[in-house]
Amino acid sequence: MAPPVKVPLPPRNAQTFSTVCQFCIVGCGYKVYKWPVGRDGVAEANALGVDFRQPQAAFGKWVAPSMHAVITERDGKQFNIAIVPDDACSVNSGLSSVRGGGLAATLYAPDRPTKARLTTPLLAQGDGQKAVSWDEAVGLGAAIIKAVTDRWGADAVGMKFFDHGGGGGGFENNWAVGRLFFSGIGTRSASIHNRPAYNSEVHAAGDAGIAALTNAYVDAQLADTILVVGANPYETQTNYFLNHMVKNLSGDALSLKRGAFGAEAVEKGRMIVVDPRRTMTVAAAEAAAGKERVLHLAIEPGSDIWLLNGIARIILERNWHDGAFISQRTETQTFEAYQRSSLMMDRPRNEMLGEAAQRTGISIADMEKAAQWIAAPKADGSPRRCLMHYEKGLIWGFKNYENVAAIVDLALLTGSLGKPGSGVSRLGGHQEGYVRPPYPGGRPALNVDEAVRRGAVKLYWVGGCNPLLTTLRAGAMEVAFKERGGLVTASLRASQGKPIGERVAGVVEALKQGGMFLMVQDIYSTASSAYAHLVLPAAGWGETNLTSINGERRLRLYQRFMDPPGDAKPDWAIMALFAKKLHEFYRAEGNSLLANRFLDFDWASDEDVFIQARYAFKGTAADPIEGYAGVTYDLLRRLGPNGIQTPTRIVNNVVVGTARLYEDGKFATPSGKARFITASPPYPGYAAKVEAQRKRYRFWINNGRSNHIWQTVYHHRFLDFFNERMPIPHLEMHPDDAKELQIAAGDVVEIANDVGRVEAMAYPTDAVKRGHTFLIFGQPRGAAGELVSDHVDPATTIPYYKGAWADVRRIGPRPELTKTVSFLPQNVAE
Amino acid sequence: MTGQEDEAGCGHRRTASVDRRKVLQWGGAVGLAATGAVPKVSLAQEVTPAVAEKGFPVFEVAPLAKIEVGSEIAFQYPDADSPAVLLRLDRPAEGGIGPGQSIVAYSILCTHKGCPVAFKRSHNMLLCGCHWSSFDPAKAGRMVIGQASEPLPQIALEVSNGVVRAVGVAGLIYGRHTNIR
Ligand code: SF4
Ligand code: FES
Repeated sequence: MAPPVKVPLPPRNAQTFSTVCQFCIVGCGYKVYKWPVGRDGVAEANALGVDFRQPQAAFGKWVAPSMHAVITERDGKQFNIAIVPDDACSVNSGLSSVRGGGLAATLYAPDRPTKARLTTPLLAQGDGQKAVSWDEAVGLGAAIIKAVTDRWGADAVGMKFFDHGGGGGGFENNWAVGRLFFSGIGTRSASIHNRPAYNSEVHAAGDAGIAALTNAYVDAQLADTILVVGANPYETQTNYFLNHMVKNLSGDALSLKRGAFGAEAVEKGRMIVVDPRRTMTVAAAEAAAGKERVLHLAIEPGSDIWLLNGIARIILERNWHDGAFISQRTETQTFEAYQRSSLMMDRPRNEMLGEAAQRTGISIADMEKAAQWIAAPKADGSPRRCLMHYEKGLIWGFKNYENVAAIVDLALLTGSLGKPGSGVSRLGGHQEGYVRPPYPGGRPALNVDEAVRRGAVKLYWVGGCNPLLTTLRAGAMEVAFKERGGLVTASLRASQGKPIGERVAGVVEALKQGGMFLMVQDIYSTASSAYAHLVLPAAGWGETNLTSINGERRLRLYQRFMDPPGDAKPDWAIMALFAKKLHEFYRAEGNSLLANRFLDFDWASDEDVFIQARYAFKGTAADPIEGYAGVTYDLLRRLGPNGIQTPTRIVNNVVVGTARLYEDGKFATPSGKARFITASPPYPGYAAKVEAQRKRYRFWINNGRSNHIWQTVYHHRFLDFFNERMPIPHLEMHPDDAKELQIAAGDVVEIANDVGRVEAMAYPTDAVKRGHTFLIFGQPRGAAGELVSDHVDPATTIPYYKGAWADVRRIGPRPELTKTVSFLPQNVAE
Repeated sequence: MTGQEDEAGCGHRRTASVDRRKVLQWGGAVGLAATGAVPKVSLAQEVTPAVAEKGFPVFEVAPLAKIEVGSEIAFQYPDADSPAVLLRLDRPAEGGIGPGQSIVAYSILCTHKGCPVAFKRSHNMLLCGCHWSSFDPAKAGRMVIGQASEPLPQIALEVSNGVVRAVGVAGLIYGRHTNIR
């Protein structure tokens, strides 16, 4: 193909749409321009309002090649699409990131690599899968669902689905999924896209009466100190970091602070980063604020509880805690228990802190410094404003419940809630948009991965995720798919061409023999869908209207601007097809009780689903953040890129949002007071199988996401820009460790332990300490989950994904694979 | 897609980097002479017909003999509004020319939001001070880490009669919809 001569400009009369990036939690605003091929704007007159005959100043508007694509609609008409960051959005103020800047490149087009999208339902046939109509797919799938529930009960239907916002999720799709599985089928064998069960990742925060997302992004500009635990916002919450945190660190937000706080002493922000690695976040924060205003605490694995409680103990003993907040806003007896248990007040200070220092690898002096930056009164005696953030380092660390409790307790101790410049929140991964009928199961939730492996789940429906990739003990899951799925495949092969009743009966026979019927609903084929008996093609971002919230609960409409590929349908519409079919089956049998569970799926549009969910879901006391009373698509269209922050309420007929939670001092507990959540001493030690690994293998295989790729690389594996950067997952290791093992940059290495093995490309860097490594998580060409034991936190069923130990062995160079890869350091900012 | 080709017979050693990327952004047919903006420019066809076809100017950056390891030479290409830098690295580079294929040139306008990048010798990278995107000059300007969604545009170089000349650009320069305006 001849190279393009230029990036076409949208003409003045291009159609414009307002949307939000489909990727990370930050939810940056983007503008979409659409115009017919051949009707381009010109340099001096275009929809961007920029004269491209003149040089552009920095921070100007530009359509980078990655921001443009030619798409083909269902009727064959071709359009140009340009997707550029929106200056008018307060989240990103016109900034893109490496991921959002390439939104256009991810759009479906029949003549680009994204043509790999699923375009039609597929049914297992022979050794492969063949295209079938929606009628056939739904008819067979629903009949098997019914047969399974009739024979084995609802829990034999297992599901693992997205629960998020942004691309593929959103209030509409989440509601429809919840309606079908929870109030419809009624299964408890449910699990969320990245973990084995249907559970909150922050039960401890919920038990304390505190939601996951408490602050407004502007609080990162107003805080005196930002505490970041187990997160890497430069890379994975990029424009929250660049457009808010950095402004604070660099002093650019000083006038904002003065305006907000009047005479109160203000200065440039400080940042504390708790991370085993010296990440780009640390380097960039130092470049923005100066090294003396950034404290990097390079923590040893499994010791977060010690660190956070050690810091808390210093704060309490120095009398830097917020006594008024504690007495008025928290349940007193929980504070007493917290001091006794979590802070070990009966142990001498130096003994407790000494053990904390030994376990965390962080000196008492650094803990003192952290305590001071978090809570010491400011120069004028006014209380310090600290914004606390945490993410997977804590959530998927050891151990989920007490880890999250420790940071929430620290926020309560210091009164860091409900006032400008404070909060305790997840930094988040994907966006949110959770609205579902209640999950019928209890807590701790049933471990569905285990139920799949064991055989209790007879039909497994996977939506918008890949359980062979983002799970623990991934290899064992694949064996289950292959062996249990294989029995059903054989039966389908035998019944080819027979009437549907016979085919279903054949499948049920296979299920009785230990088989499992696998359905996968997704936008692309995946390792999981390769084993599926039924594949359902879903519409993606931009192909249906959807609504979601970001990390400050900002709700917006992501407008549809193009057709889904082929016969693909929005997830909510797929759910409705199955619900209606099940309704029909049960009615035909005269079973009105079950038939009625599948009523009210007659949605004519995405907005119908949104509105139904709004009425049904007002938010629960424990998690009110996603209630959106009074919000309509029309309102969101008018509000554009800044939307409205949930929860909303109606005052004098006007819908009012909530910038920051708990300004009224009322928490989500029956008493309205927050609760300290106690970790009982001795703090939990490693579970036996984790401890055995840790003792046996040389390297800690820490793992997580990176700047360049989004989650499982589902889009980015098709794009050169990303593939060239990271053709296979990389393993960061200390240069001295690499040298000892004669491993050079770019060498392919084998990482192996008692659970499995993975190949990766070595990336020596002093970002990691000796004995530590860091592996990219969720990469289809080498899943960290292959190495992770199936240990979960017994209190929450949350995995210890960060807790794998393994040996590393050099395989050798693969220059054809790594020649496009740069091995320069990824944590240099000055 | 080797880093370098010999064009036997015409005495030109010329980078192949401009053929490297799947998405190439060749300028239109507007000759630079029309802008009259840059001195020392002749129309490309006088030297290399292949480049002239694409409408890029030829710009003499510096005599090869004067470019030492560690040299950094600022220039503008393909017009006066487009700041660029020529580097001689201490290592071979994709698309490099000269001794050990170590000479490369790039637009210095960051492909994120257009701030100027600077060469950090200690790390052999081109680093942007605005949001800290970094680019590897030995790897055709691919991003090391950062928030740009395009590599840094690489300026194709060739050596002719002992002089290093800029003859084209791979990748779209920040702020433009076409490289040759
Ligand atoms: S920071 Fe997140 S939401 Fe914003 S553009 Fe990047 S990936 Fe998208
Ligand atoms: S302008 Fe260079 S990193 Fe943003």
